[in-house]
Amino acid sequence: MILQIDNLSFSYDKTPLLSGLSLSAEKGEIVCLLGPNGSGKTTLLDCVLGFHRNYTGNISVCGKDILPLSRPELAKLVSYVPQLHTPTFPYTVREIVLMGRTAQSGLLGAPDKEDYEICDSAIVRIGIEEFAERPYTELSGGERKLVMLARALAQQAPLIVLDEPTSSLDFKNELLFLEIITDLVRNDGITVLMATHALQHPLYFESEGIPSEAVMLSRGREVRSGKPGELITPETLLEVYGVRAAVHETLSEEGKTVRTIAVLGSDS
Amino acid sequence: MQKTQIRDNLSLTVKALLLILPLLAVFVSLFFGRYHLSLSEVVLSILRSADVSVASRVTVLQLRLPRAIASAFVGASLAVSGAAFQSVFRNPLVNSGILGVSNGAGFGACIAIVFFGGGVYTYFFSFVFAVAAVLLSYFAGRISRVTTSITMILGGVIVGAFFSALVSIMKYVADPYSQLPSITFWFMGSFASVNYSHFYALIPMGLGMLLVFLSRWKLNVLSMGEREAASLGVDVRRAQIMIIGGATLCTAAAVCISGTIGWVGLVIPHIGRMIIGNSNQKLIPVSISLGAGFMVIMDLLSRTLTGSEIPIGILCALIGTPFFVYLLKKTKGGFTA
Repeated sequence: MILQIDNLSFSYDKTPLLSGLSLSAEKGEIVCLLGPNGSGKTTLLDCVLGFHRNYTGNISVCGKDILPLSRPELAKLVSYVPQLHTPTFPYTVREIVLMGRTAQSGLLGAPDKEDYEICDSAIVRIGIEEFAERPYTELSGGERKLVMLARALAQQAPLIVLDEPTSSLDFKNELLFLEIITDLVRNDGITVLMATHALQHPLYFESEGIPSEAVMLSRGREVRSGKPGELITPETLLEVYGVRAAVHETLSEEGKTVRTIAVLGSDS
Repeated sequence: MQKTQIRDNLSLTVKALLLILPLLAVFVSLFFGRYHLSLSEVVLSILRSADVSVASRVTVLQLRLPRAIASAFVGASLAVSGAAFQSVFRNPLVNSGILGVSNGAGFGACIAIVFFGGGVYTYFFSFVFAVAAVLLSYFAGRISRVTTSITMILGGVIVGAFFSALVSIMKYVADPYSQLPSITFWFMGSFASVNYSHFYALIPMGLGMLLVFLSRWKLNVLSMGEREAASLGVDVRRAQIMIIGGATLCTAAAVCISGTIGWVGLVIPHIGRMIIGNSNQKLIPVSISLGAGFMVIMDLLSRTLTGSEIPIGILCALIGTPFFVYLLKKTKGGFTA
């Protein structure tokens, strides 16, 4: 088991944000965190990333409890693609990706030859060698997201945490990003924990035949989980989001069943 | 993969240039001044030969050499700490004085001048208060639970203003005929009185530069923001303390022997970025070298341009301001794309 969360509860200023949440992810599995704003998705990611430490319950990655781990130790197990990234200095793409090697490169963080090689192969793996020498501040939002993903890949952690990775991407770039994630999970055996507002994402991964699990949080702190196709139903959408919707099945040319959501209206 | 190494490290030629630039500046500065010296006089003086007049030897070894070495260290310290603060605080517009170093040191100098008659006390008190101002800024910035670099910059501004008010009080109570001019001249910055007895200040500067130099990779990661740096495996608090501590040793010691010299800590790192790029791995050594060379030349100009010395702080700002405006125009103020 790559990620194991047991009975996790977390409160901020006595307001419970997570209560009694459990989930697990095996190698090569995608877990999508769904739920409306304020349902605790980001809080859960922050617990897994070690930003919140005063939780109760247990989080372990690759069988190790993450609480006692140092920053470099945790970074070797979990990498992170942030939702928002405010760029400062115009580093080149390669310099950014190389930062993924920080945890592996000793006390001072100075990379060695092997680190440069891993950095270069992460750039090739994500397919961004074209702009590897360009300042990343000049890239589009979609390209920049790929740079962040390459940096996470260079970190060589078994678990990648993605926080709404496609929120700033256009229609096509969103799909390209999902395809790369699918490829990484399927062929590199990477495990993904991903918070997303797009209910389509877990359905997409499922239709691609990736072992996937959807976990739906709600403001009432109940947790529903299951296979994406079984969890995302008109009933749960109405209960959790307050949205009337229909779920349709379409058969693609390749014979894959693709589920789509048609929004009918809000319940108010 | 040899190509990778060459691409990401400074080439041997650049390394050699970085080393030669400050040494050359120091060497050149030995020739010029009120008392003109020939090449052979300078070289013989350095070799402590008996074939040269005592006056030449004293001028080179006791006056110009210590002054040039001290100004090289001060320039390097201010530039490297400016570069470090810019990355830690993710802000290209901060300089080495951002955490209240200058005003803290200024207040220390005032206390020494007003209550202890200046002299060696000035160095001691300005160093102590410079460090105190940074500690206050750091903890003021850390009081809020949300620890961002912005609150620390804010802490620096507030603490700086506080010490600035204290300086005004000291000026108000100072003797207007003897002490007030000393205070005013201290704030303009000068290397005029530097000699070998001040070289103990080179120790904190050297140590501080070493700390920042060793942390140069982590500076890159820290400039991604605290959350990302942590997720990449950096113990943010520890790295910040090491870097801010190193930069503070640099600036406090620099300010205590030269008085306040503005602009170097802001402008030199940006010149370095234009030459060598943004990675601190290269920028830190380049800033050290450029800062040292720049300050030695500025000090040379300050003592040779006119009959009496121009305070170096004034000269740096006079040359620094137009350059900074040019820089803003060129980059449109937009380091954050």
